[in-house]
Amino acid sequence: MNNQQMEEYKLLVEGQLPWPQTKNLMSSYKDRDRFFKILKIYQDKVKWDEKILLPIGEHLFIVQKGNQRLVKCTCGHEFGDYRKNWKFQSVLLVRNKVEDLESIYPHSDVCDPSWMEIREFICPGCGTLLEIEACSPGYPITFDFCPDLEGFYSEWLNHPL
Amino acid sequence: MKTARPVVAGIDAGGTMTDTILVDEFGTFTIGKAATTPQLESIGFLESAIEASDYRGIAIEDMFASVEVVLYTGTGMLNVLLSRSGRNIGLITNKGIEDMVLMGRGLQSWGDYSYADRLHAVTHHHPPPLVTRRNTHGVTGRMDHMGDEIIPLYEHEVEQAVNTLLDKEVEVICICFLFSQVNPSHEILAEGIARTILTRREAKTELLSSHQVRPVIREQSRLNSLLIEAYATGGGRKQLKSIEKVARENGYRYGVQTLQSFGGLTSINHPNLHETMVSGPIGGVLGARYISQIIENDSLVVSDLGGTSFDMGIISKGQIRIDQEPLIGRFKLNLPLIAMDTIGAGAGMHVKVDPLTKKVSLGPESAGSEPGPICFDKGNLVPTICDCNAILGRLNPDYFLGGKVKLNVDLAYEKFKETCADVLEVDNVYDVAEGMINMLDSEAGVALRRMLSAQGIHPSEYTLLSYGGSGPLHLGGYSRGIGFKDIITFQFAAAFSAFGCTTADFQKRFSRSVHLDIPLEAPFMELQETVLTINSIWGDLKSRALEQMVSEGHTADQIGFQPFLLMRYTGQLEDVEVYSPIDTINSVNELNRVIETFRNIYKNINRSVSDYGQTSVSVMEMGMIASVEKIKPRLKKSKLGKSKPEERAYKGLREVYFNSKWEKTQLWEMDEILPGNEIRGPAIIEHPATTLVIHPGDEVFMNEWSMLHYRHQE
Repeated sequence: MNNQQMEEYKLLVEGQLPWPQTKNLMSSYKDRDRFFKILKIYQDKVKWDEKILLPIGEHLFIVQKGNQRLVKCTCGHEFGDYRKNWKFQSVLLVRNKVEDLESIYPHSDVCDPSWMEIREFICPGCGTLLEIEACSPGYPITFDFCPDLEGFYSEWLNHPL
Repeated sequence: MKTARPVVAGIDAGGTMTDTILVDEFGTFTIGKAATTPQLESIGFLESAIEASDYRGIAIEDMFASVEVVLYTGTGMLNVLLSRSGRNIGLITNKGIEDMVLMGRGLQSWGDYSYADRLHAVTHHHPPPLVTRRNTHGVTGRMDHMGDEIIPLYEHEVEQAVNTLLDKEVEVICICFLFSQVNPSHEILAEGIARTILTRREAKTELLSSHQVRPVIREQSRLNSLLIEAYATGGGRKQLKSIEKVARENGYRYGVQTLQSFGGLTSINHPNLHETMVSGPIGGVLGARYISQIIENDSLVVSDLGGTSFDMGIISKGQIRIDQEPLIGRFKLNLPLIAMDTIGAGAGMHVKVDPLTKKVSLGPESAGSEPGPICFDKGNLVPTICDCNAILGRLNPDYFLGGKVKLNVDLAYEKFKETCADVLEVDNVYDVAEGMINMLDSEAGVALRRMLSAQGIHPSEYTLLSYGGSGPLHLGGYSRGIGFKDIITFQFAAAFSAFGCTTADFQKRFSRSVHLDIPLEAPFMELQETVLTINSIWGDLKSRALEQMVSEGHTADQIGFQPFLLMRYTGQLEDVEVYSPIDTINSVNELNRVIETFRNIYKNINRSVSDYGQTSVSVMEMGMIASVEKIKPRLKKSKLGKSKPEERAYKGLREVYFNSKWEKTQLWEMDEILPGNEIRGPAIIEHPATTLVIHPGDEVFMNEWSMLHYRHQE
């Protein structure tokens, strides 16, 4: 049963699980160790060995490397300490001209670039699009998520970090 | 009794069990039961028919040779729809509304969900569409809501669409234009064009248009009805044909009949077969209507507890509620369906305890007939309510389905302890099991109360009928404290729906959307005009109904007609179905008679305080029901005997767990209980197909019609 369950979670992580099963998972009780099962699936998937502490995006993880905790991409590129905004270490593409916006919304209305721009954050290691911001020009780059890792592990997961 | 010739065989294939009821010429009946086989329903059909014949002591061939009506209600079409295994269809519609199929109605994305999931919008999900967007072609042309042509139909676009769909080898082409219920001329024109192309290309593709399938207002529902007819009825008809084949191979001489969702019988060659898609549960309401005549109380509440669901319905002063736009397979349809409220609750329901929060919950999943509860010992390891009943001694492990299934109580106990009692850290497993049963009972009881209060009904005027395989098992629990006038169950509770189906007559129902406002002080001429419109529509519908009935082998003089109208007080949103007291309306006075009938029915359904007094009314739909009577089962009336049951009915004592303690409980054989007998709880009355649990202090009395009255302790 456990193997079958792991297969199911694997499909879920990969976005391949058919809807009825996905809905079933959503509507039923969560197993106590679901978090660690999902971590294991990610850990098996990546090619590097550092221990994953927390996934923070589709391709980004906080990992333990020696006594450091770093943000790392699936490809292995490291963005530095997790308490600093990884976006500053990424390649940034800003779409703030009509033609740039039209290239992603062809044959369609696009926003007025003087009101809104689209910022794309790209991994310098593999070129994967990691995150997007749609905001007014001049708006500061947001720091999506600075987790309290110790608190999360000790109080929510009851597990040493 | 065994010499009487069986004349009607009613078969009802539910989600879990297929029931057969054989009725003979004197109206007595026997019942058979077998597991439903959804892949090929004819297997379960035959097994269950064989069992019913066995009880009667005749061979299956003799049974089929003797019966004049075989009526079958199954789940074949619904399965085709739910498993998305239907036909490849194409759709031609108005340009600009091609996405109607993809967008659907909002409530289709959560309509059949549990309450918890309804609240969690993240789980909402539209049902996969029956026709792909690529196979949907919009053509220019528009009719307005009055039926006036705004843009003529661009015929070359229709030609192009038909040719493209034929190139893609679709099996059915559906045509649905806006407001075709008012003016179908564009649909008729498009159909003509398509037919010419089909002939030219020698294609066997079927054509269906919405004004033929269901010329009724509300575009999305009309479209859904059309698409489901095109999509699912092919496979569904195949199942029905295979049933007919099996019946004929065994000596049956006529065509198999099936039940339409509003309660009439029809041949399986019925053109709009989607109207028969949901007919199982409504059998109970038909049966109840029949029972109401015997017990002389025309206000009933029906409750059907099976393996997977708890269905409830109301008959108020003889009036059956019809839902004009039900949700079926997560699609809203324009399909008159006997209104039933359903909650997911049944004996097959999984019981679970959340390891994190220790929250206990029932379902929504159910073990079905395969693999069934744990105690069936067929591989399922998730405990069910049935397992709880087995653990507490309420089910006889050696007499389930008359002993056909031996219950493995030890295994059920072990697994239940592991996954429920241990997780809850409760030592007494029996207390936990009883708690689970109480939970099911109270969920069903709450659902009943909710339905009653939503209708503004006081239970003290109503008789509760309880049936379904698990109905008698939980009756004492779920009816407690509601205060019904009377509570009745049956020896044949497990096959009551099938019994109900056999009380139906052959019927066809035709209807058409209209919009006739009848103001309070309308000028005479205006009313005259309304009278003429009504008569012309009824006349039209009557000739269509007559034609179809005759084509199914009924003679014109057998056929009775009942015109009806869907009426409301002008400005309201819901219609009331009104059977017209007269066949044609010849004067304004007679029109007023019909309006008076409407007012009375409205009062009956919604209580007398709801009378609107002097208000104008609107007619939203008009229809005609054509029917031919059929032989029905009859309950046998016997003299009341003594209150003490016969010695041979007594089966001994068993320890059964009630109210947190083991009680020495008397066991009785249901078929040996006689009219007049009274049994006081704690007691259990066993039947091969069901088990009636009488709680300590409660009492059961059998009346002269062999119905069992359940009386709660004062």
